[in-house]
Amino acid sequence: MKQNTLSYKVKQYLMFAGPGTILFFCVVIIPFIYGVYLTFTSWDGVSATKPWVGLTNYAAAFADKDYWAALGRTAIYSVFAVVLINVLSFFLAYLVTSGVKGQNFFRSGFFVPNLIGGIVLGYVWKFVFNRAFVALGSAISGGTAPSILSTPSGAMLALIIVSVWQYAGYMMLIYVAGFMSVSEDVKEASSIDGCTASQTMWNVTVPLMRASFVQCLFLSITRCFVVYDVNLSLTKGEPFGSSVMAAMHVYNQAFTYKNYGLGQAEALILFLVCAIVGVTQVMIGKRGEVEA
Amino acid sequence: MKKAIALMLALVMTLALAACGGGSGSGGGSSKPAGETLTIFNSKMEIQSQMEEMAKQYSETKGVPVEVYYSSDTVAAHMATKYASNDPYAIAMVDAKDVYSLGAEHAADLSGEQWVGDTTQAISVDGKVLGFPVCVEARGVIYNADAIKAVTGKDFDPESIKTTADFQALINDLIAGGMAAPTGVMKEDWSLAAHFLAEVYELQDDPDAFIAGIKDGSIKLADDEVYNALMDTFDVLKENNYAKDAAISAERELTEQKLAEGEIAFMFGGNWDWDVINAYDYSENMGMMPVPSALSSANTKLVGGGSKYFYVDNGVSEELQQKAKDFLNWLVYEADGQDFLVNQCNLVPAYSNITLAVGNPLGSSVKAYADKGALIGNYNYLPDDHYAKCGAIFQKYLAGQIDRAGLAEEITAYWATAEVGAH
Repeated sequence: MKQNTLSYKVKQYLMFAGPGTILFFCVVIIPFIYGVYLTFTSWDGVSATKPWVGLTNYAAAFADKDYWAALGRTAIYSVFAVVLINVLSFFLAYLVTSGVKGQNFFRSGFFVPNLIGGIVLGYVWKFVFNRAFVALGSAISGGTAPSILSTPSGAMLALIIVSVWQYAGYMMLIYVAGFMSVSEDVKEASSIDGCTASQTMWNVTVPLMRASFVQCLFLSITRCFVVYDVNLSLTKGEPFGSSVMAAMHVYNQAFTYKNYGLGQAEALILFLVCAIVGVTQVMIGKRGEVEA
Repeated sequence: MKKAIALMLALVMTLALAACGGGSGSGGGSSKPAGETLTIFNSKMEIQSQMEEMAKQYSETKGVPVEVYYSSDTVAAHMATKYASNDPYAIAMVDAKDVYSLGAEHAADLSGEQWVGDTTQAISVDGKVLGFPVCVEARGVIYNADAIKAVTGKDFDPESIKTTADFQALINDLIAGGMAAPTGVMKEDWSLAAHFLAEVYELQDDPDAFIAGIKDGSIKLADDEVYNALMDTFDVLKENNYAKDAAISAERELTEQKLAEGEIAFMFGGNWDWDVINAYDYSENMGMMPVPSALSSANTKLVGGGSKYFYVDNGVSEELQQKAKDFLNWLVYEADGQDFLVNQCNLVPAYSNITLAVGNPLGSSVKAYADKGALIGNYNYLPDDHYAKCGAIFQKYLAGQIDRAGLAEEITAYWATAEVGAH
């Protein structure tokens, strides 16, 4: 059988990638297109009619101060969380590949937070912040210590801490793979050439791990931008709506305030922001990638 | 051979796909065979286990399969997702405002039912009865009489506390007697905005006109008599809050535990709080009293009425709708149904023909006020975002970030763009 005819290729594609493609279309592409359609309607989420309103929802989305505040807050949160996640996970990966005793145990230990769902994790930490730390603080200070969840900046800090705790282990695995992929040859060569350990690290290992950085940054940026579960269970947007992240605002707008079209338009803007940031970051990252 | 394997693989995948397709079809469709299962949506978390037990028994005795579902989502949000997936419940328990927003389109007309004559709390839209009141709930100040007596040495008479000054005096006595902080305040947005702030509207002679007045600026909230009277009392609650320094992170369970065990004596709440309180080692003599205030017309009455409404979906088959109606009649007119409402679920019935005594102290307080007609009705037309947005504003007040004038100003600003629900 000829293997370079079009029909052969189509058949091969359909046989192996067909089911996946169809599923992808059904659960991602079609809902996405339908979602875009809904942004042009004033649907409330339950009504049978979906009145066409053109670009009104986009105008409303751009005028929605709460939304832009939430988006700005999400950006600040993402910057801190992404930097901390990556610094910490890189450091952890370095530790658990340096040959310390029981490093496999530590690897799985650091990874465990990632296996706990975001909702559960939020409730666990809420207990820690509201009860354990408060009890501890009160015992030390003698008075009643306020929970850090009771101030806007404290709630933000709590969100960042929990996100870092949640994702550091996961990103660590990718960095571990990065560390392992740098062959001993080049490291040895650099040390023969007179590099100190830290010079080897910064000039040989890190540049060769660039792919891991690109990947980890992409994953952490996109995840932080659409954070919802931890946000919901840890702070629920409180105190006084000061920790409502973009995704939560979109959900509230669409389902709680019953402005489905507006919520969908805001979700689309969030998607675009997220995509632009993510793709730019990957493009910049890929440009300087080197291979040994 | 290879070809055979490839063919088999392709077949398996097609099957898997078909299964997916089939699955989503039956799961997403309202096309379940007629008269199959009576699906009931329950939005009262505290009675979910009783509902499930009841479903089992109802299925056995009546031969109608019943399934009960619960969601911790906001009711409106959950119903939105169910309608979006075209999978409605036969009977849904929703809040009053949802009957107004969903009813016209989705609820079956229940005007012809017998129970309509036995309740004053049913909801009608455009002249058609659509909402079946599940229970009566009311708001007020919950007190722990045992805790008060332990400090003051005198029996507590809730009727003796009418004005904010009376309330403050008693609080002072309690503090002097050694109860460090006699009150608790729930920081939840629904408690602050949907329950407490809502009373500012509800205690007006004409809530609609009042809100319209705030919107067009003819009424200054900051100067309003009701607002100031209620905020005076709120300030007393706030100042004597056991979690005063961290009011905004106080947990509801902890507050209610303290109230139940007598560490604090007062909390603004409603009879639904019993389901939290009874999880703890509660005191015998608890109850509810009206929010003390300078308003002589309101300080002898609780605020409340029908709460949580069942509506029958008009999109399901006629047969299923009939079964749903039968179920509602069972609740009101049969001994098992009445027992379920009053004894199993601890609810205050909204039906005059049900004479069973309400078992829990908060419920019996509400029943007592309801029986003597001392209930001020709920205002059910607040916008969907009112509780969240005004709740966030009220939380700022609770945390001491804004003062009373600032609170009034921000609430007025909220109303500038908000619209009350159609009614």
